[in-house]
Amino acid sequence: MLHKCMFSGSGGQGSALMAKMVCLGAIKENLKVVMTQTYGIEQRGGDSTAYVIVSDEPIGSPIVENDADIAVALSQSIYGNCFAGVVPDGMLFTNSSMVDNPKESDAFKQVFLPVSDTAVQLGTVRCANMVMLGAVLAGTGLLKLETVEEVVRETIGNKKPQLVELNIEALRSGYSAMKKES
Amino acid sequence: MENLSAKYGKTLNLDKLTSYCPGCGHGIVTRLVAEAIESLGIMSRTISIVGIGCGGFSHHYMDIDAIEATHGRSPSFAIGYKLARPDNIVFTYAGDGDTCAIGLGDLMHAANKGMPITTIMVNNTVFGMTGGQMSPTTLEGQVTTTTTKGRAVPHQGYPLLVPEMMRAMPGVKYLARESVATPKDVRKAKKSIRKAFECQVKGLGYAFVEVIVPCPTGLKMNVKDSYARCGNEMTDYFKPQVFKDETEQSDVA
Amino acid sequence: MAQETLFLKNTEAFAESLARCGVKYHFAYPITPATDVMKRMAVILPAYGGEMMQMESELAVSSALAGAACTGKLVATSSSGPGLTLMHEAIGFMCAAELPCLLVDSMRVGPGDGDILGAQSDYYVATRGGAHGDYHTIVLAPSSGQEIADIVPTGIKLAYTYRTPVLFVIDGVSAQTTESTTLPAYHDYSAEFDTAGWAFTGTQDHPKRALITGSYSHQDGYDLNEKLRAKYATIREKEQLWEQEQTEDAEIVVVAFGIHGRMCRDLVAKMRAEGKKVGFIRPISLWPFPELAFAGLPDSVKNILVVEMNHGQMVDDVRLAVNGRIPVHFLGKTGGDMPMNTLAEMIAEANRILGE
Repeated sequence: MLHKCMFSGSGGQGSALMAKMVCLGAIKENLKVVMTQTYGIEQRGGDSTAYVIVSDEPIGSPIVENDADIAVALSQSIYGNCFAGVVPDGMLFTNSSMVDNPKESDAFKQVFLPVSDTAVQLGTVRCANMVMLGAVLAGTGLLKLETVEEVVRETIGNKKPQLVELNIEALRSGYSAMKKES
Repeated sequence: MENLSAKYGKTLNLDKLTSYCPGCGHGIVTRLVAEAIESLGIMSRTISIVGIGCGGFSHHYMDIDAIEATHGRSPSFAIGYKLARPDNIVFTYAGDGDTCAIGLGDLMHAANKGMPITTIMVNNTVFGMTGGQMSPTTLEGQVTTTTTKGRAVPHQGYPLLVPEMMRAMPGVKYLARESVATPKDVRKAKKSIRKAFECQVKGLGYAFVEVIVPCPTGLKMNVKDSYARCGNEMTDYFKPQVFKDETEQSDVA
Repeated sequence: MAQETLFLKNTEAFAESLARCGVKYHFAYPITPATDVMKRMAVILPAYGGEMMQMESELAVSSALAGAACTGKLVATSSSGPGLTLMHEAIGFMCAAELPCLLVDSMRVGPGDGDILGAQSDYYVATRGGAHGDYHTIVLAPSSGQEIADIVPTGIKLAYTYRTPVLFVIDGVSAQTTESTTLPAYHDYSAEFDTAGWAFTGTQDHPKRALITGSYSHQDGYDLNEKLRAKYATIREKEQLWEQEQTEDAEIVVVAFGIHGRMCRDLVAKMRAEGKKVGFIRPISLWPFPELAFAGLPDSVKNILVVEMNHGQMVDDVRLAVNGRIPVHFLGKTGGDMPMNTLAEMIAEANRILGE
């Protein structure tokens, strides 16, 4: 099993936190995981991409170089880069609340979910990343939902216990929305 | 020649004839350091960290473990050593060139850290081992092989007053300048050097003693004249005094 | 501390591995991308009965390191290129003085003040040494967080067996990479070595010892150098470390250390899948350089491609190792938004050479 992921978003959308949740969850499932910071021309003010490689074997190249099989675009400004970074048969998850005029792709599957709107309905737009992460888990089987819920309880629970249930609800809502989609 | 070192106890060991030139002030300071170690009963746990220059010879005349450090770095060596083995007594011994030319940064930061370490700086206003070049403490107008018309202040600055620079550092608990110009001065120097070690034994903080000594060879003077200069021009500028003595504090456990 | 798997920056993996393997005192000065090592050391060392001492410069860092190493205790430092440059006075001294210690260099783009982006630009200064005299520093180049954890004990054993500094080098990209690493349970590897026979700890249990690297006679200088020569010859003979895969029938062998070495695993898998006969050698000890790996290459190997995050430093050692027997090609870059060649570029270059 080998997944190369890119989680992209604009300032404050929490794409790096999504990546970190995946990494910590992967360790819980006894998988190897590598995360690198943004390198390359897509590095711009406000936008950020976290690259994560998850594998059940020792990981070779730690660099994701336009060969992600799981990509997430939370905002308009990074959508183009994400679109260019996905391999054939990969999946691109796009936040349709923020991305207008998406491109067509025959090579890989695109999933459009209004995660910002869903997050607002849940109480705050700031949990859009967790809604999206739930969808990614449902759509790819990257990790078990329960594993990531456990990570949320441990990491967010430590600092902001009042936000744990909100984030778990966000995860679950994205998860079930994706299940309905597929 | 009769070997007198045994009269001073076990620390001083002159089985090897000293490499110091006749009349060199290092001989006196080395003996005073050995006497201080002897009188405090700390010989077997004392480590000498010496610099490069004639001061580097000093450990050869003491039966204690010694480290010949890189040039100017003995205060930093001492910091590392003392951190790893706080129960040892660590002192650095070097001349003015090693201590306040190449090693001034290491010295000041070590002093400012305030760890219990003792530094003896032997100031003879000249680079002795390399044959009499200007050092930071060379007096204004003093002729050396690199200041053939005398040290010129406009480009070379004034002689460096090292303890004065340390005075404001609260971590420095004993701070003095002494000289070896006369027997009376030597007795005072002996007291200060002992206090500088006592300060460390009590765990109080950093201790520094500058000792003004003659270098007849480097200054191209006979021994008598070099001692006269030590007692006059040198100590007129580098005024012997105890700047700070906080050694009467109770022990830091 | 028990064995545990953590998600750590590789700089932090260094700190954890050093502390868990017995380092008590760490000296450092802030410099990107190595600062995370000292930051974590400051937090964790007190629990091991040790301390991180921040010094005023890398010059003072390395001098304090040397002073602490005189006690026989396990001591370490971490820095990056410009800091390593300043440390060479003490590194050369410690080699001459035969003092064990550990150093970590998180390499960045040079020369001069350089750039904080990762690079492998310190290969020369690490393996050739930046100080005067005939000396060598053992240099180990882990390529992942797990290898950091696994190789620190090896470094400690080498440092104490040969009483010499051991330098770990890692490119700044890998240093800043975060990954899952299984850290060992606490074990002080330096405690396996008896330092009472040489450490400068005071005369309570031994006659006077003096650490002297200067020559009091011309014979002293000759004797010291001959002693070091013999020691370095033993290290060269016994301590070469490398990883090697699929070279048995290879037509081209890619040689890279650190991150590029790690990428070679993917390179070989992808190119072999296309039927290309490619293998790789990943030097792990950069000094001693693993010449034995090259001596054993079969006649099928017609070309070697060296890939580095610099303009060609290790390639010199590869050329010396093959001594004209096999043509050696080079691919490398340093600096820029993407401060290294990608896997795609490595594969393209290997294919170009195969097609020649």
